[in-house]
Amino acid sequence: MKILTTVKRVVDPDAKVRLNSDNSGLVTEGLEAKMNAFDQYGVEEAIKLKEAHGGEVIVVSIGDSAGTKEIRTALAMGGDRGVLVTADMSEIDPKGVADLLAAVIEREAPDIVLMGKLSVDSENNQVGQRVAAKLGWPQATFAFTCEVADGWATVGREVDGGTANVRVKLPAIVTADLRLNEPRYASLPGIMKAKRKPIEELTPDDLGVELEPQLIIQGYSLPPARAAGEIVDDVDSLIDRLQNTAKVL
Amino acid sequence: MRFALSEDQTMLRDAARDLLRGECSPERLREAWAGDGRIPGLWKTLADNGLLGVCAPESVGGLELGMVELCLVLEEAGYVALPEPLLEVAAVTVPHLGSDPRLCDVVTGERLILVAQGEPLLCADDADEILGGSLEEAVHSVDESRRLRATTGALTSLHGVVGAAAILAGLGRRMLDMAVEYASVRRQFGKPIGSFQAVQHHLVDARLALEFVGPVVTRAAWALDHPEDTDLDELPAAAHAAMAKSLASDAALLAARKALQVHGAIGYTTEYDLHLFMKRTWALAHTFGTSDAHRADLARHLTRNHA
Repeated sequence: MKILTTVKRVVDPDAKVRLNSDNSGLVTEGLEAKMNAFDQYGVEEAIKLKEAHGGEVIVVSIGDSAGTKEIRTALAMGGDRGVLVTADMSEIDPKGVADLLAAVIEREAPDIVLMGKLSVDSENNQVGQRVAAKLGWPQATFAFTCEVADGWATVGREVDGGTANVRVKLPAIVTADLRLNEPRYASLPGIMKAKRKPIEELTPDDLGVELEPQLIIQGYSLPPARAAGEIVDDVDSLIDRLQNTAKVL
Repeated sequence: MRFALSEDQTMLRDAARDLLRGECSPERLREAWAGDGRIPGLWKTLADNGLLGVCAPESVGGLELGMVELCLVLEEAGYVALPEPLLEVAAVTVPHLGSDPRLCDVVTGERLILVAQGEPLLCADDADEILGGSLEEAVHSVDESRRLRATTGALTSLHGVVGAAAILAGLGRRMLDMAVEYASVRRQFGKPIGSFQAVQHHLVDARLALEFVGPVVTRAAWALDHPEDTDLDELPAAAHAAMAKSLASDAALLAARKALQVHGAIGYTTEYDLHLFMKRTWALAHTFGTSDAHRADLARHLTRNHA
């Protein structure tokens, strides 16, 4: 079974980010980068599928050469080989990411693609859906279970107010949600082995993809600072404030 | 000349960091204090992820790396105050056994083999085998996760000494991080207390002390990995180990004192996490040789050609 999974390098979500001077972007210099948390679930599920059905796991990332670190981490977890599409992420919108991934998927022709449901930095939640639409493949998003048998994937999906079970014919795109699994750590022996696993570097030109952003971020703003709290004298004052000032009762 | 970790070393350290921070939270550490001193199942996880066999030969399932790499792991273990005998096994038992086939079961976590060195020994009652000496009475530690037994024998493991220094460096870093975080959020007179010069002095003193520990620990680890490569003073690895442990003990003790000072009264309480790291520091600063003992040892190395 050929399994393709994707990883994105994002700023550590626990790091405190600041806006640059004209609020056009985030200051990320000096901040630790990590694999997007949802992609870890996708990678883990890809490795579990390989362990159950055999085959290979291909790990794909888009970004600058620093992204090889996240690919190596996924290879240390159990992936077999990597593909890095080198591109400036600040100039790519979700459509561009989807176009590049779709081109890699067409080259590799996997049986299933496992992706994070969204990246924790931009939170667009578009790429999996766009890739499926571009390829004309079925999609099962927000997966919390995934079982593969007889050319079909049975996927439990997180939906508003409950869950839904769907079957998708392979090849298909599955995007991972939080409960899908518990990602393993990259073991120290895994890291030593990952050194010897190949990572192919491609450019958008190699894939025949022309990047024309259709979504341009115009600016960011921080949430307003929280106002100071107030200590009231008695319960009656508290109820009065909740009813008439906060209007929550 | 390049004084930096390689990409592989950085990845090993980061992987150990992710695992240790994920599995050894202060909450689980508190459970270990209340229980038998260890975190259930964690020893096997450490073994499965290769942490026990960093320095063991590949033939027994190890990574066949050196003390430099193990110290990166141990510093991360110090940062989370890992209550498992990782130092005692990965830095002491593994080099002690060399290529002994018993190492296979040691690096997989199947067997716990410890080396008695005349100091109180961690997890001695859990051990399948004790080498180098014998066990004596139970010893109480200020750090209640440390279940100790007195031992016979003598302190001979330089790897253990340097490994303890790496753990102390990690403990110092954790306590300083906690103090900086606290000084940034605790407000007094309308400002974070970290904006006051007197508080800044404490933080800077601790950081300066810790900053000088890292290179010396790495140098000592390098000396153990390359015993033939003596420096201009022709100091042996033992002298570098003595420097590393005395500096690390002093710096971590200073960081503990400064962190306690910055935290004020809350730092004294057992409800707050700082004491978990301070008490480990107090315990470890006096294990694998005290700062004074290592200074005396260094003096002997410096004067041996003139005695």
